[in-house]
Amino acid sequence: MSRSSEAAALKRKRPDSSTQGLVDAELVVLNVVKSKKNQGVWVADVKKEANIAPALVDKCLTSLVKKNLIKKVPSIQNKAKKYYMAVEYEPSEELTGGAWYSEGKLDKEFITVLRETCLKVIGMMKVATVEGIHDFLKKRKVVECCTSQQVGEILNSMVLDDSIIEVKSTGLGEYHSIPIGSVCYRIAVGVTSGPKTIGPMASIPCGACPRISVCTPDGIISPKTCVYFTKWLDIEF
Amino acid sequence: MVSPHGIKLAVYLISSYFGELNAKVCDCLLRRGTQTLHQVVSSTELSRKNVKNCLLVLIHHNCVQAFAIRQPGGFGEEAKIITQYMALFDNIIHKLRFPKFIEIVSEELGKECEEILEWLLQHGRLSLSQIIVKYKQASKQVGMTCHFPGDSSADAAQDSFNRLVNARFVERCPAPDPLLEPPAEEETAAKKRGAKSAKIQAQTMEQQALAAAAPMESMRFLVENIWNDSVEKADKRTTDVKCGMKRKQEDLESNTKDPATGEKEVLWRANFEEFIRRLRHKACVANVKVRVNNDAAIVLAATLELSRHSETKLRIDNSVPQSINAIYDEVIKREGGLGMDLERIRASLDDLGCEAPLMEIDETYSVDLKNIIEQARIEEVESIVLKRYGREAYRMFRLLSKADRLVETDKISDTTFVEKKDAVKILFKLWKDDYLEMKKVIARAPKQSEFILWKINKQSLWEHILDEMYHAALNLRLRTTHEKEQEKEILQMPKDKLVGELGNKYMRLRKVCIVLESSLMNLDDSLMLFHDF
Repeated sequence: MSRSSEAAALKRKRPDSSTQGLVDAELVVLNVVKSKKNQGVWVADVKKEANIAPALVDKCLTSLVKKNLIKKVPSIQNKAKKYYMAVEYEPSEELTGGAWYSEGKLDKEFITVLRETCLKVIGMMKVATVEGIHDFLKKRKVVECCTSQQVGEILNSMVLDDSIIEVKSTGLGEYHSIPIGSVCYRIAVGVTSGPKTIGPMASIPCGACPRISVCTPDGIISPKTCVYFTKWLDIEF
Repeated sequence: MVSPHGIKLAVYLISSYFGELNAKVCDCLLRRGTQTLHQVVSSTELSRKNVKNCLLVLIHHNCVQAFAIRQPGGFGEEAKIITQYMALFDNIIHKLRFPKFIEIVSEELGKECEEILEWLLQHGRLSLSQIIVKYKQASKQVGMTCHFPGDSSADAAQDSFNRLVNARFVERCPAPDPLLEPPAEEETAAKKRGAKSAKIQAQTMEQQALAAAAPMESMRFLVENIWNDSVEKADKRTTDVKCGMKRKQEDLESNTKDPATGEKEVLWRANFEEFIRRLRHKACVANVKVRVNNDAAIVLAATLELSRHSETKLRIDNSVPQSINAIYDEVIKREGGLGMDLERIRASLDDLGCEAPLMEIDETYSVDLKNIIEQARIEEVESIVLKRYGREAYRMFRLLSKADRLVETDKISDTTFVEKKDAVKILFKLWKDDYLEMKKVIARAPKQSEFILWKINKQSLWEHILDEMYHAALNLRLRTTHEKEQEKEILQMPKDKLVGELGNKYMRLRKVCIVLESSLMNLDDSLMLFHDF
């Protein structure tokens, strides 16, 4: 094998070989990359599987990219790792991180817009199911290209933020148009999102204190000299 | 077991009420568990007399309970009876809440009962005759009650006292020194010195002692009519009055001996259990009011009012089942409940999570109180997480608390829309502060990869939060003392001299103290939520 790879390396040096089609080593590497389909493959894994000298693999990869047969894709799992994939595939969700990621980063702007829109829609409709909200968005063309599953995910996170609540339809009153028992959403009682009441512990400095574990009556951090306390007691007036 | 900061707070409270010596004894009992007089003397290095006095004070204020165990003597010696002392942590912490107890009585039973309760709280335990004497002195000072020789004010005192006992706010004191004879007594005694290994057994021994000391349920709230003959005597004598002529049969229940006659007199004390029950109900109603709606709160309050007298222990999980008609009758008596009809009440009960019974014949409802308490705890912790770790952490925490199982890092970051790297950072921070549990799972096929799973263990988290709350409560008290000490001179000055700069300082101190003390009172609500409810 090593001999053949040396031969391949020699062949590659010939100026006309790149236009002629692929050399053996490139073919091997291409097959490895293609076999991974939309999962992509990490450079180190290519080197392991192709069983070719590492330096040569690198060269093959760059030349294949140049020939537009494979592409480099970002991975959300590990941004430092280089992943390759055959051009005919789209990166899988595991690589991209799903619909919420663009270019390997969480698309916060898109999420915020979608959240705000959903909140407004629920505010207008009072009670709505995921499909109801999705249909509304589609009809009004507020947000393009977003599936009802995505809307569901957004709503779920808003429930976690306590800005909306999840209820089951009773089929009566406001729920008359929604089948009994299906999950729907409505605005939480308090207008502001977050917990309705701030607990007694959370409203004193100790509740938010990151150093409480090292605070002792006569220690360096102590309630007598605590700056958070001083600030808190001064702000009150 | 009591949390470390709980002990610190308890010791601080004792030292501020009863001084350093008592605090030392109390500290020793709290840290080392149940001990004999001899053990306390040797570990505190105080004189025997001091320790004895301290224990007496602490027992009198219901902070310590004594009990005796029979220890078999070895090598033909006779069995010895050894008296042990245990600190009652809960009762010490209850000292924080005395203002709340007084408020309950003042709202429900009025000024006179409030006064009697105040004396009981102040003195720990009192006999009825002592209360009557105090009552007379007080009424003389105010000059309110008429000047007939004794009786009418004594009657009034007795009347107020009866009302307190009937409402179960006052109970008979437990036996001073119950003798325990557990079947496994040899083991217990032998392991006693082995401290930690015997902890589980010691625990049960202490519970046994408390159970043995408690007066029988039928005696607990029984006021005997002492009025016929003993009042006159009570009137004639001054302070150390005697009244229990008919109580010879209950040597165990009665408490102190009257030195003059050698007879026993019943001592009374505030019944903390009832107060905590009221506060528990109040907290449930308040939580429902915010979380569900006003109607549900009214219905819950009515149901709890009905179920209160049949509650056998403090932490009942479900309220005692009540019929819809009884609930209706109680609801319409309440403020805001007049306009409610049966349908609305049923709807509110449904909101409270009660299921309508299948059969119409016996329509009773029972509310899941445990769930309400649990919800309130979760809310409290969530608000701490939001404050301390930010909104993203709050979202993750809520996800985990709702899921109530192990969840993988990626799943968490996907559902909460937090960048994966940040998610891991936040989760680690929460884990480091004991808010989460972490589990690593290594998958070998198809390629080796490591997953990190996260979970909230509510039981241990509650303990952790409670300890932090005790810490915070102690801090609030320490800061209050510190602020007062800083401005000692101002506090000692006569009020008319407090003008200008000094006046401002005085006003500042006053405001600071109000803020600190009211925060402590609120924090105490949470302490009860996590410890007593």
